[in-house]
Amino acid sequence: MDYKAPLETYSGKVAEVVIGKGEKALKIGGESVLPFHFFEGKIENRPRLALEVPDAAPANWTEWECRPYKDVLSDPVAWAKKCLDFGADLVCLRLVSTDPAAANAPADKAAAVVKQVASAINTPLIVYGSGDETKDIEVLTKVAEVCAGENLLLGPLAKENYEPISKAALDHGHCIIAQTPLDINLEKELNVKLLKTFPRERIVIDPLSSALGYGMEYSFTIMERTKHIGVMFGDNTMQMPIIADLGSECAKTKQAKESEKQGLLWEGITAISLLLAGANVLILRQPENCKLMREAIDGKI
Amino acid sequence: MVLIGESIHIISKDVNDAVKERNTKVIQDLAKGQAAAGADYIDLNLGPAKRDPEEVTQWLVNTIQGVIDLPISVDTLNPVAMEAGLKACKKRPLLNSSSGRTDSKERMLPLAKKYNTDVVISVLTDKGCPPGIDSRIESIMETIALANELGIPNEDIWVDPIILPVSADQKQVADAVEFVGMLQDLMPGVKSTVGLSNVSNGTPDELRGILNCTYMTMLGRGGLYSAIADVLDEELVKLNKGELPNIVDLIYKTMDGEVVDLASLSQKERDYVKTTKVLMGETLYSHAWLES
Repeated sequence: MDYKAPLETYSGKVAEVVIGKGEKALKIGGESVLPFHFFEGKIENRPRLALEVPDAAPANWTEWECRPYKDVLSDPVAWAKKCLDFGADLVCLRLVSTDPAAANAPADKAAAVVKQVASAINTPLIVYGSGDETKDIEVLTKVAEVCAGENLLLGPLAKENYEPISKAALDHGHCIIAQTPLDINLEKELNVKLLKTFPRERIVIDPLSSALGYGMEYSFTIMERTKHIGVMFGDNTMQMPIIADLGSECAKTKQAKESEKQGLLWEGITAISLLLAGANVLILRQPENCKLMREAIDGKI
Repeated sequence: MVLIGESIHIISKDVNDAVKERNTKVIQDLAKGQAAAGADYIDLNLGPAKRDPEEVTQWLVNTIQGVIDLPISVDTLNPVAMEAGLKACKKRPLLNSSSGRTDSKERMLPLAKKYNTDVVISVLTDKGCPPGIDSRIESIMETIALANELGIPNEDIWVDPIILPVSADQKQVADAVEFVGMLQDLMPGVKSTVGLSNVSNGTPDELRGILNCTYMTMLGRGGLYSAIADVLDEELVKLNKGELPNIVDLIYKTMDGEVVDLASLSQKERDYVKTTKVLMGETLYSHAWLES
């Protein structure tokens, strides 16, 4: 007697967000099944892998972190191209130079670099501000303006500063990353507030990705619950795709700083875990992990 | 249900200052105001009462008894303050509270027998708040068995399931409603109470009222006997008196999963439906739950 396992069908669907423009455009999310549940239905868009580029030569990366990029450390455009050579689907440019606690570079200078990078690569571009809520308003609105029409994925937008940044993103044709501090209720609240003025299919959720041993399970739970609530229960304020900005978090750990192999594993384990939790985009630092995650997603390991 | 006025609590700066200064007027005004609003009991929340526990408690009890004729709920974790308070009460007081914690079973629970009072027994154990329904049942049945052995009958026991904020642990908020509904089957004759305002702790102030009102109605349907609540909230008192039957009806319908046509409702009615769904755990909580 043939046994056919019962299949769940769900009322909800993750929104399909398109970033980049024209031939460069890339689709994120759009699934109506739980992460990697290929047996439940078709998953049109595989998880996307981004490699990270700081907009200024990094001051405190280890020797092995720098090694793959040693000739391009001071050249974000060349660095971005190198990321794509390493097999990334897209690039994440992090505007570290604008951090008031670091170089505090002005918004227009940073925006000019973003424009250069966006123009130089044939994939979409994710842009993260420094995370300083006040400075990011200036920086990200300027970036939005200068790169009008590029359809960047801009973030982070937080509870404290989402209004001006989302307006600029709306006015200049970009998508946004809504970031909340590891709290699913705050995540929902920010989405509800954003949805009043911003289109649903241009929002990506960043619930904050903590490294293995430093809170990864919190990120995992929130991502997993977000998928449950959005896909299984059809809550349309929780149906945005999820981005896991994990590379720099893992790189900060003692383990990553102490040993090259440990650092690789730290990012790798965190990455695969968050993929299973439901991340639709991963931001990685290490090209080796980009390769490994690609193989994992393709079912080859 | 019986309403226990919560306003006299040591966390409030006004109350804290009044106690320090032994300002009878502030305390008496709070007591009178709550009595006029419809309170059945007045709660005296002393906190840990570390400084002059006996003297402070006696002063508070006498200050209140001087002007109102309602029974008092003596609310402290300090057994010395508790004993002084119970002794000073002229009307039969409520011992608020004992629990499954070892020190409470040993030092608080016997006071209920000694002074012949009603007693709130919460589900807390030495490990803290039990997660979920089954562990709460286990804890409360054990403590009540002990209370019965001490000669305290179920009718004098008010079970407190410990309410957590919906913004912190949404699932346990729904669990508590189910737990209250089970009490009469498990321990016939037992009464119950909750710290109602806890459900809205952490929620923006202007939204706390509707959470408290809705939750009280949901718990009441399960047979909740009393609530320590903000009796100065007129809507809460009205609801409790049965003066807003259409709201109660809507809440019950929502709890039963009946499809309600939101478009046909007033803004206030819609808000109650949305709030009920959040408290049932059907919709994920966010501070913006009324906005979507």
